[in-house]
Amino acid sequence: MLELLKQLCLLNGVSGDEGEVRAFLRAQAEPYADSIRTDALGNLIVFKQGAKATGNRLLLAAHMDEVGLIITHVTDEGFLKFGFVGGVDRRIAIGKPVVLGSDRVPGIISLKAIHLTDKAELKKVPKTDSLYIDIGAGSREEALKKVPLGTYGSFVSQPEEFGDGFFKARAIDDRIGCAIMLELLKEELPLDVTFAFTAQEEVGTRGAFGAAFSVTPQVALVLETTTAADLPGVDSHRRVCAPGKGPVISYMDGSTIYDRGLFEDLRRLAEDNGIPWQTKEYIAGGNDARTIQRTKQGVRVAAMSAATRYLHAPSSVASVADFKNMQELTRLFLLDQARQAN
Amino acid sequence: MSLSILELISKLTAVHGPSGDERAIRELIAELAKPFADEITSDVMGNLVVHKKGSGPKIMFAAHMDSIGLIVTHIEKEGFLRVGKLGGISPKDVLNTRVRFKNGVRGVLVAEEKTEDKVKLEDCYIDIGARDEEQARTLVQVGDTAVYDTAVYNTAVAEVNGRVISPYLDGRIACAVLLKAMEQVTARENDLYFVFTVQEEVGTRGAKTAAWTIDPDYAIAVDVTDVDDTPGAARYGTCKLGCGAGIKVMDHSVICHPEVVDALERCARDKGIAVQRDILRAGGTDAGPIHVSRTGVRTGGISIPCRYVHTPAEIADLNDCAACVELAVAFARSQMTAI
Amino acid sequence: MNYEETLARLCAIGAPSGFERPMAQAAAELLRPVMDEVKIDKMGSVVAVRRCGKENAPRLLLDAHLDEIGFIITGHEEGFLRFAPLGGVDPRMLPDRELTILTQPPITGVVACMPPHVLSDEERDKSLPIQELFIDAGLSQEQAKARIPVGTPAVYRAGCAPLGEHKLCGKALDDRACLAVLIDAAQQLLGEKLDVDLYILGSVQEEVHGTGAITAAYGIVPDLCVAVDVTHGSSPDAPKDETFPLGGGPTVGLGPNCTKWMGERFCAKAEELSIPYSVEVMPGHSGTNGWDLQITREGVATAVLSVPLRYMHTPLETIHRDDLTAAARLLAAFVKDLGKEVPTYA
Repeated sequence: MLELLKQLCLLNGVSGDEGEVRAFLRAQAEPYADSIRTDALGNLIVFKQGAKATGNRLLLAAHMDEVGLIITHVTDEGFLKFGFVGGVDRRIAIGKPVVLGSDRVPGIISLKAIHLTDKAELKKVPKTDSLYIDIGAGSREEALKKVPLGTYGSFVSQPEEFGDGFFKARAIDDRIGCAIMLELLKEELPLDVTFAFTAQEEVGTRGAFGAAFSVTPQVALVLETTTAADLPGVDSHRRVCAPGKGPVISYMDGSTIYDRGLFEDLRRLAEDNGIPWQTKEYIAGGNDARTIQRTKQGVRVAAMSAATRYLHAPSSVASVADFKNMQELTRLFLLDQARQAN
Repeated sequence: MSLSILELISKLTAVHGPSGDERAIRELIAELAKPFADEITSDVMGNLVVHKKGSGPKIMFAAHMDSIGLIVTHIEKEGFLRVGKLGGISPKDVLNTRVRFKNGVRGVLVAEEKTEDKVKLEDCYIDIGARDEEQARTLVQVGDTAVYDTAVYNTAVAEVNGRVISPYLDGRIACAVLLKAMEQVTARENDLYFVFTVQEEVGTRGAKTAAWTIDPDYAIAVDVTDVDDTPGAARYGTCKLGCGAGIKVMDHSVICHPEVVDALERCARDKGIAVQRDILRAGGTDAGPIHVSRTGVRTGGISIPCRYVHTPAEIADLNDCAACVELAVAFARSQMTAI
Repeated sequence: MNYEETLARLCAIGAPSGFERPMAQAAAELLRPVMDEVKIDKMGSVVAVRRCGKENAPRLLLDAHLDEIGFIITGHEEGFLRFAPLGGVDPRMLPDRELTILTQPPITGVVACMPPHVLSDEERDKSLPIQELFIDAGLSQEQAKARIPVGTPAVYRAGCAPLGEHKLCGKALDDRACLAVLIDAAQQLLGEKLDVDLYILGSVQEEVHGTGAITAAYGIVPDLCVAVDVTHGSSPDAPKDETFPLGGGPTVGLGPNCTKWMGERFCAKAEELSIPYSVEVMPGHSGTNGWDLQITREGVATAVLSVPLRYMHTPLETIHRDDLTAAARLLAAFVKDLGKEVPTYA
């Protein structure tokens, strides 16, 4: 699965521009799908039958999109102004290379030299609207020819193993969810499962609205990533979770109070099968579950995540062991759901 | 000699020798070094050079004998003394400290009553208890220098496990280390120069001329280094008290030559000497001017970890000092390639 | 000289101030074909010489520095690494920045960044000073201490690649782009008869103490020298009167650090050969090795020739290819028949 994850983390798919990722997922999923479709927002929805014919009962969801940027206008000298798509802390964008559009035109977001910066400026970070991308163009015309307004841009980072059992890449959020779902699609399932690879999660869980409405499941498990702040200088009650301590099973975050029963199911499955697990020790963040839960008459939702450092930044760090355990725990969840279904 | 390090520190810190006014300390060190020297000279700047002759490559050890201090700039009508600084004096570190002039006159450094939180030295003055300017002038003159008049303590009953609290470990403890080292280095090939430099605290000035004159193949600056082991430490240093001699990797004035760093680490390994790596972010040493002398000198440093540097009460660990002595001796004896 | 290829190779080398050996070796290799003798001196600088054969010929020193800005590890905390800068690092470049830690073999690290939820609104606008940052190498405390001891150097993880049609972008173009210019100039002079003894110096530690230039010059005893370094290229957020346009050619220094007749000769040669250039007036310290070189021993006639570079001291320094070829042409023209112009001082 790690090789698959590496491939997924090399694809560009900023919210609203998920085409490349969707095409890859579709090609991979098609041979195993009983039905497969794309909808108006760009969600990829795949249905596979299992040993028990439970229909739409269970939905698994992971989002295809990542945070990035979009070109808003071009200066006379050929520099590109942009806005961030999704929640990006501009401090991690400074000094980073980006690629623009499907041609992957290389660009850089940089600042004037430190020598031209006074002490007061050095302590502050320039606002997003004063940042710019340099693609080496000499004029506005030259720039627009390569990068029309509205072109999307992604950050650049090589997906690779790192340190002692860690993995570093861009867009671990949420290609790990997509990777786990793809691997499950290839297996014999204990019950029918709908796999929703959603679009535009990062700009407000937008794809999930239509996906949940059209599937109308009873139970949904969201496979995600969540912020780990296990860094020196962070108080222990703000560290949230840590890579390497196992999949994160959430009971609550900033947008959803998870179904207690499902939380207990996951916890029990982990403990009974010797899978390490942890929970989020800080209330913050949100994911597609918030939208799925409040669809039609409501859906029981649970979330399982990989604890990831430096989310929404080009070089995110997570644990390889956590990925494997997350995959295993999801399998056990499917078996358990099959048992519970009548 | 066989004075212990603690005894040496007590003797050395009791003598007057702020930057530019080092005569008394130079005379004391010359006297202490005499039994172990082949030749003792001093130069125009006032550096003291102790030469132990050898046929091998030239190794220069440098420790500065000057201390920081204060210099009288103006005498008020009421007999108060305005002062300037010799070296890095931070007013907040020295307020209400007793000071002592060369002729023995004592006083205390205070800030004007109405001073706000950020105290500048020009808002301070020394009070020697004089009744008026006339009386003051019978005791001190403009241009006279003063140093901290605080005592030396050993924190343990026996020297073996103790830490020493003392003014001017910055400078003098390194001198003590060199004096012990020169006592212990007997048979060797290297041509050794133990240099007690002047005016380090005002810009490592003495070292520049000493290095140019000697033109060594290798140099080791011996000095204190900042530590990172006290509450709220600003993370400017990497050493801790009690963890051994510091092998300098870099300070604000030098990136040490890897050959010398490796040689020191080899000596430590071979002789089982406790060492730690020293990177000092804020603060330079004599290694600065030495390493760029002429066509360059392969330079490193042996550092004594020290807390509260430049305050009236600095603290160092006597075991760390002993390790520094051992390391200096080992390096002095080691086989280095001549250039 | 294929700048794209050469700089792709040179900029990939991790060689921060004080740890320049791999860069010195690469530079020596590139200089051997164009100079008579090449050696690496005791402080680590590369010194190459091509003698002209005339007795008492004036000695010309051309200098570009080998070192790049970088980092050095100062401690370990919960497996994360504390670090200090080597040279002028902009701390705002650091959050989530990938670094190459120069152990054998090298290890990748990421500068940790605080997630927004633990920060207040004001804190999110501030940049953290370096001593509050640390590097994540994905290791436990024991592993980190064993594999990455205090004193290990590190550099930005980056190389050099084309940007747009005319530019190159990467780390350490300051000053390896200028080292490439020196090699290019030497290549162009191969067919010419010289009337000066030509020394090319790849100096160490320019970004910190100027160690390489100071000590090498003391040994070479040049009569005149040219420091070839980068200067600030224009960008939207930089003041127009302190920067130079990329593609406008190299800059010739004027001011106390630049000996007048040498500056005039550069300008005259540029006009003669229609090479685009600007003059860069510097009232004091030129910000280059020229400052230290000028006061070596009895003093040295000094010129400063610079190539405009955007985003100096970031991993994304950007330079225009045409400016590099122009600088090399200009330098070669300057050196040709230089000997007779050198004044005697009486």
